[in-house]
Amino acid sequence: MYTADIRQPLVTGGKTYSDVTKDVCRPIENKPSPSWWLGFSIAVVLLLILAGTLAWTVWEGIGTWNVNKSVMWGWDITNFVFWVGIGHAGTLISAILLLFRQKWRMAINRSAEAMTIFAVFCAAIFPLFHMGRVWLGYWPLPLPNAFGSLWVNFNSPLLWDVFAISTYLSVSLVFWYLGLIPDIATVRDRATSKARKFWYGFFAMGWNGSAKSWGRYEVVALILAGISTPLVLSVHTIVSMDFATSVIPGWHTTIFPPYFVAGAIFSGFGMVLTLLLIARYVMNYQDYITSEHLEAMTKVILLTGSIVGLAYITEFVIAAYSGYEYEQYAFANRMFGPYAWAYWTMMFCNLMAPQVFWSKWARTTPWFIFIISIIVNIGMWFERFVIIVTSLHRDFLPSSWVMYHATWVEVGIFLGTFGLFFTCFFMFAKFLPVINMAEVKTIIKDKE
Amino acid sequence: MVDKSILLDNKKFTVGIFDDSDKLLHAVNTLKEKGVKIFDCYTPFPVHHLDHALGYHRTNLTIGAFLCGMLGCLSGFTLAYYMNVVDWPMIIGGKPQDISVFTSFIPVMFELTILFTAFGMVIMFFARSRMMHGIKEDLLSRRQTDDHMVLAIDNEEDQSVSNEDILALLKKEGAIEVNDSKEAFNTSLTSEEELAEILKSTKTSTKKTKKK
Repeated sequence: MYTADIRQPLVTGGKTYSDVTKDVCRPIENKPSPSWWLGFSIAVVLLLILAGTLAWTVWEGIGTWNVNKSVMWGWDITNFVFWVGIGHAGTLISAILLLFRQKWRMAINRSAEAMTIFAVFCAAIFPLFHMGRVWLGYWPLPLPNAFGSLWVNFNSPLLWDVFAISTYLSVSLVFWYLGLIPDIATVRDRATSKARKFWYGFFAMGWNGSAKSWGRYEVVALILAGISTPLVLSVHTIVSMDFATSVIPGWHTTIFPPYFVAGAIFSGFGMVLTLLLIARYVMNYQDYITSEHLEAMTKVILLTGSIVGLAYITEFVIAAYSGYEYEQYAFANRMFGPYAWAYWTMMFCNLMAPQVFWSKWARTTPWFIFIISIIVNIGMWFERFVIIVTSLHRDFLPSSWVMYHATWVEVGIFLGTFGLFFTCFFMFAKFLPVINMAEVKTIIKDKE
Repeated sequence: MVDKSILLDNKKFTVGIFDDSDKLLHAVNTLKEKGVKIFDCYTPFPVHHLDHALGYHRTNLTIGAFLCGMLGCLSGFTLAYYMNVVDWPMIIGGKPQDISVFTSFIPVMFELTILFTAFGMVIMFFARSRMMHGIKEDLLSRRQTDDHMVLAIDNEEDQSVSNEDILALLKKEGAIEVNDSKEAFNTSLTSEEELAEILKSTKTSTKKTKKK
């Protein structure tokens, strides 16, 4: 077998196949630790805040938010784009890195995919409640209706978004579940209680690891990866078109699709690092998520952060060069207007902070990476805030100029989505194998 | 061809259990060279080149996936064209609403292509591998999804090599355990039930040999 000496082994600690099974199944087969209960309780409290603020929004109406003329999209769409962006790293790791044969993906793809799915759940809340009458949430679907034959408008990027996000969620779920099947079978065959045997047996679908099934499984995984790759790129491209196809200065730029995709990968990796650094510490997975993994992920952060930074500067230069005074004003207003603090926060967090990853020490020191990953998350939230709010708050008519600040309801919903996200993630960590055992077992011997 | 459940057939297998994928692969190659027909192998993770060594062809699922994708693409186009051009053209700003707006149908066509491909292919995969919710698994070793690799030979198959030779070969190739009449079982039995089942099967097999 080929081994490259410059690479460190992907799994350390001299693990055997059965060690992998035992280590990964431990949280599922034992009672949750106090730290799990603590985290889970905080998440549930936040989830209750989400339920409360959403109920208040529906009861009282969308007026509980400060969105108004001319800032019709405020925190809600900012949060939507933020969460969708986070939802991009999972499929990127499992699909694009599979096509590039990056074996370090194997220890982290499961949790990254789970994160993707939960992030898309969180994202879906915002456009749905933003409609105001959430019970009419099925209206964007192309359904026969009672208003003559008034169908949905296929020329609208908002409709493309409906198709893109729902396809992305469904395909990510299928990809995730397919990857889980062999591992669920492992848990099933180790199960000691009747309930566990039944449920894991139910979801394992009779998997027995036959070589015939593995042969097909690998082909199916490869094709799913192949089609998920353009899917990931298309989803955020379409999200960016929600903005780019409008005629608002600051939104109407052709750089948006690649810039949004790079930003999505950047923010997704930021969130993956935040979660994995916690999981690695709490669950003792240092042998599986090694500093080699952290280093690889920080390199992706460095690359995509630089692409995003380049996009910010390009956007600015193009605006200056365009000779179009409204475009020029929009960008000057971003940098020096009343929301300049948000713009410079974004520039610091996304462009400058990740540059520390040029240093090897920064790429391999977990606590430091954790801090930078939080900064990246904050920066990417501000990026969307800057794009949306600074472009809208100063209209073509100076008489409609307003300042926008979120109400406690909008803040509550945003905090609440973290509750939803982490509740799902804690449940996932308790009931499903967080590391893809079957794939990790193939790499415990090699250094590639 | 759908995989058959070996549980339903009450088949007896000669099995060799390995704890190393390289040894398993070597054993498969050696047995194949000697002309032994192998039923299947069961491994906790995909062993590279194993399907090749067993003589399996690459699956045709990709063709099915392609057809599903074409169907999805066509559905996307039909949906958009019927709704926005045929049934109710939405004229906004006096712009044409005919086949010339085809480009704005592309995102929906693209998304549906992917959706249909993914679901179609995964459903076909489940159907061909005989996988369904609630189906009983057929295991030859309790640890075949953990750390053991099972090489199974159907006892009803006519072999040019004698059973003793096969067992000897398996042992020589590094099998940690060999068994010449193993029946498939499932783990939905509790350990006690399983023990009773094993005792029963050994009793019946000894009876049969006595009759002979």
